[in-house]
Amino acid sequence: MGKGKWVFGGTAEGGSALWKPLILVAVLAAVLVGCGGGGGSREDEPIKIGVILPYSGVYAQLGEDITDGMKLYFEQQGNEIAGRPVELITEDTEANPQVGVQAARRLIEQEGIAVLTGAVATPVAYGVIDITQRDNIPFVVSNATGNDVTRQGAENVFRVSVSSYQVSSPMGEYLVEQGTKRIVVSAADYAAGHEMAAGFMEGFTRAGGEVVDEVYAPLGTNDYSSFLTRIRQADPQGVWTFYAGSDAVRFVQQYSKFGVEAPLYGTGYLADQDTLPAQKEAAIGIRTSLHYSSDLDNPENREFKSSFREAYDRQPSVYAVQGWDAAWLIGEAIKATDGDTEDKDALIQAMEDVEFQSPRGPMTLDENHNPVQNIYIREVRRLDDGTIGNVVVDTIEDVRDPGE
Amino acid sequence: MTVETRPEQKPPPVPRRAPSRLVWLAAVGMLLALVVFPVFASTYFIGAFTEIMILAIFALSLGFLMGYPRLVSLGHAAFFGGGAYAAGILAVRLEVTNLFVTLAVGLIFAALLSLVIGGLSLRSTGIYFLMITLALAQMVYVVAQQWNSVTGGTDGLAGVPYPELFGVLEFDRVGFYYLVLALAAGSYLLLRSVTRSPFGQVLRGIGINEQRMRAVGYDTRVYKLVAFVLAGAMAGGAGALWAHHTGLVAPVDVHWTLSATALIMVIVGGAGTLAGPMLGAALVWFLDTGLSSYTEHSTMIMGAVFVFFVFFARGGIVGIARSVWGRVHGRIGA
Amino acid sequence: MISAEAIISQLLNGLAYSLMLFLLAAGLSLIFGMMDVINLSHGSFFMIGGFIGIGMVDALGNFWLALFVTVLIVALLGLVAELSLLRPMYERGHLDQILLTFGLALIIEDAAEWIWGTTIQSLPEPESFSGSVEVLGVVIPAYRLVVIVVGLLLAGAMWYVLERTRLGSIIRAGVSNREMTSALGFNIPAIFAGVFVFGVALAAFAGFMAAPILGVYPGLDFEVLILALIIVVIGGLGSLTGVFWVSLLIGITQTFGQAYFPAASALIIYVVMAAVLLLRPEGLFKRKYA
Repeated sequence: MGKGKWVFGGTAEGGSALWKPLILVAVLAAVLVGCGGGGGSREDEPIKIGVILPYSGVYAQLGEDITDGMKLYFEQQGNEIAGRPVELITEDTEANPQVGVQAARRLIEQEGIAVLTGAVATPVAYGVIDITQRDNIPFVVSNATGNDVTRQGAENVFRVSVSSYQVSSPMGEYLVEQGTKRIVVSAADYAAGHEMAAGFMEGFTRAGGEVVDEVYAPLGTNDYSSFLTRIRQADPQGVWTFYAGSDAVRFVQQYSKFGVEAPLYGTGYLADQDTLPAQKEAAIGIRTSLHYSSDLDNPENREFKSSFREAYDRQPSVYAVQGWDAAWLIGEAIKATDGDTEDKDALIQAMEDVEFQSPRGPMTLDENHNPVQNIYIREVRRLDDGTIGNVVVDTIEDVRDPGE
Repeated sequence: MTVETRPEQKPPPVPRRAPSRLVWLAAVGMLLALVVFPVFASTYFIGAFTEIMILAIFALSLGFLMGYPRLVSLGHAAFFGGGAYAAGILAVRLEVTNLFVTLAVGLIFAALLSLVIGGLSLRSTGIYFLMITLALAQMVYVVAQQWNSVTGGTDGLAGVPYPELFGVLEFDRVGFYYLVLALAAGSYLLLRSVTRSPFGQVLRGIGINEQRMRAVGYDTRVYKLVAFVLAGAMAGGAGALWAHHTGLVAPVDVHWTLSATALIMVIVGGAGTLAGPMLGAALVWFLDTGLSSYTEHSTMIMGAVFVFFVFFARGGIVGIARSVWGRVHGRIGA
Repeated sequence: MISAEAIISQLLNGLAYSLMLFLLAAGLSLIFGMMDVINLSHGSFFMIGGFIGIGMVDALGNFWLALFVTVLIVALLGLVAELSLLRPMYERGHLDQILLTFGLALIIEDAAEWIWGTTIQSLPEPESFSGSVEVLGVVIPAYRLVVIVVGLLLAGAMWYVLERTRLGSIIRAGVSNREMTSALGFNIPAIFAGVFVFGVALAAFAGFMAAPILGVYPGLDFEVLILALIIVVIGGLGSLTGVFWVSLLIGITQTFGQAYFPAASALIIYVVMAAVLLLRPEGLFKRKYA
């Protein structure tokens, strides 16, 4: 029966089918060799720091930026802390929480890391926190903004980025002060979008503003025409939004095209380094709130920008700063414990006591290990060198997350 | 010309096997190895193999559908994830961690879901069946993503603990491993006896030529639906185990990409067999995890491996093993 | 708020979106209708059309010239793919075609990420159409009108070729009865290669035209693939008329649905498909070419 070919993939009459199983064995061997190994390091010299970030998929650039920020710090320390060499072990989460959980598990159990850091997407952070608690591994969240990440109050969890509430609510009060009292809120329809919108609206209404309409677009919407038409019809004084990544690019590009004249506001994720190159002139005039801006004029930022540019040939983003601060937190804490990473409680205590010198300006940690920091109001302008970038126009100091 | 795959072009039923005592020996050997494994393996690998076995059950259930009634579904993850969500909601929202309950609820919920989806989809065949299973499963995904209060929305449900049994037995990493091993072996044996039963023979007949079976007098829709629900329930059970194992249920667990992964596992392992998909699950897991530690291009490599299999080794691992066996014993594999 | 202005606005947007969908789905339907082959890498060629398009616009400076060159390049890539990978699959049936083209799509997506990066990129609209216009009292980007016009023109042209020209009747004959047509002396493999290449070219064309609206990024391929598959399946595999009307149906209901029921809008396309397949398990329109 010639149809056996379908099932067995080879003919009896013709050439040798032996190469197929050989290839299979070779592939299996390569993979097993690759994924075996590791583990078994208990009292070894190097300080192993596990990094779970997206290195593929739509958030890959963020993962790169955070990692580069971390590497910059450790390189400046000569790649060793308290006499012990530092080893960064990275794992790709693909922004998929199940992959992130698996990666964290491998790092903790197989590689025996002392500290875990990372998580760009909030679901990844939530999934991983549980695992880190079983072994009391300190987990430094370097991006995820979900409020509950720190509001949960887990002892071993630290955040060096910002919480959703923290980055969105100050702009509410700011806008009212500026005279914008009637606003439409629009956000991507998922957990982060709702958290951000809720944060903004609380700040805005508390200051006396009126939210005229709330328009939520499904995540990944490519045609905002119907939403923009609705926004235009509400005729607000301003439109505050939360969109990030490709959603932000498309929303901004389509915004003025559909005749919406009101000024556009949002969190920094709406118009920042990762989106401006695609948005181009459409972004000019947008005001956003973020805990960093590359034009900040303080000595740490000047220093950071020049060393980052020298090392990586590009301008650092907020993500790079978060990576830097994560590394700082870990590095300075381990210096304080004289290189001891076995006593987790002592390490956590040391982390709580670390003093930051962040490029973002003043920064301390609150009781939930969330940063207390400035939030900057920035405006997108065409800069002197012809490029399009953000310029700080106002600063709101000492912003905290309410903690519950 | 009909829309569905022409009967004479479908792969025939698996004709020849190696002598059953040798296959038995290999199977028993593998089982023994898996039983002894935790004694000298690291915690991480025990967890890794637990995960592989859960995915193997998932792939097995799809492989059963594809191999016997020849139903190619691109929505199987809906049942897996559905079972995971059911168990997760019980554990996280209602604080029920009794394995008996979570597993049962996972199975039952997935069975109901597959009854509905199957009832709607099985009116179509071929590419239409594929597409409607995809569409209905994607609807489950949208619900999982948006129903914040119940499913946790895009954040998912975190904090699903290891299960216990009636408050008497607590599962730890090793205990859970053995539980999953037992369930995986049990699932295989269950499906094996199903395929050997008269019911299974009818299914096989439907897969080869449904019209002929109908002409003989069988109500093929009912048989297909029962098989679909059986497979869906089994996937849901695997999903419940998955929730306990990873501690997290997220919308990715019902996304079509997971259904596609299951499809790849079945093909790479050997469509038309029961053991094949389970082996395929292991291979795909190793490729995915092993590769992604070394390269960002694991997707490309997986795609290439898959294309390789489709082109040159359509019978999957089992097919390769059989052709090697055939050559070694001078027998012709066709 | 259901004002006349809103409705007109949504209608125009819906029309533009529908024609974008039609351009996307037409190529897939053609390949299935003409060759009985299911090509899951269709979305990949759409995406590549966008990526290469961006590069071409950069290099050549002219939107329409870049469009022409991009379509040629991708058509060539399609030819290579057809000759090397797809041809052996013709006799193997739908399942194998699905599996193979899916694997191919995975490879292409990763390669695209490798070559062009992961962040979303945009293709600038042609300068003469980059502003907004007022039509029937609503403000709409001029480019959307371009999409509507181009889409209608293409639909008309395809219909004309298939129904009114000799080439069209040869193709229809070849699909209707391959053996007979081959016996009559027509070179079936060449025709198939030609149809596949044309289908891929259409995908690239659609990707290029849609890029100023959707942007281009890895991941776009599978998003549009699902859309295209659903439209083609509802419309009746192989019926170009079906694809046209279904694109219109989906585009308009999606746009209106998004405006008035945003939470449920993600479900609309699946509900429509499930509903259609329940009532008519073989799609809305009979296959025109077989």
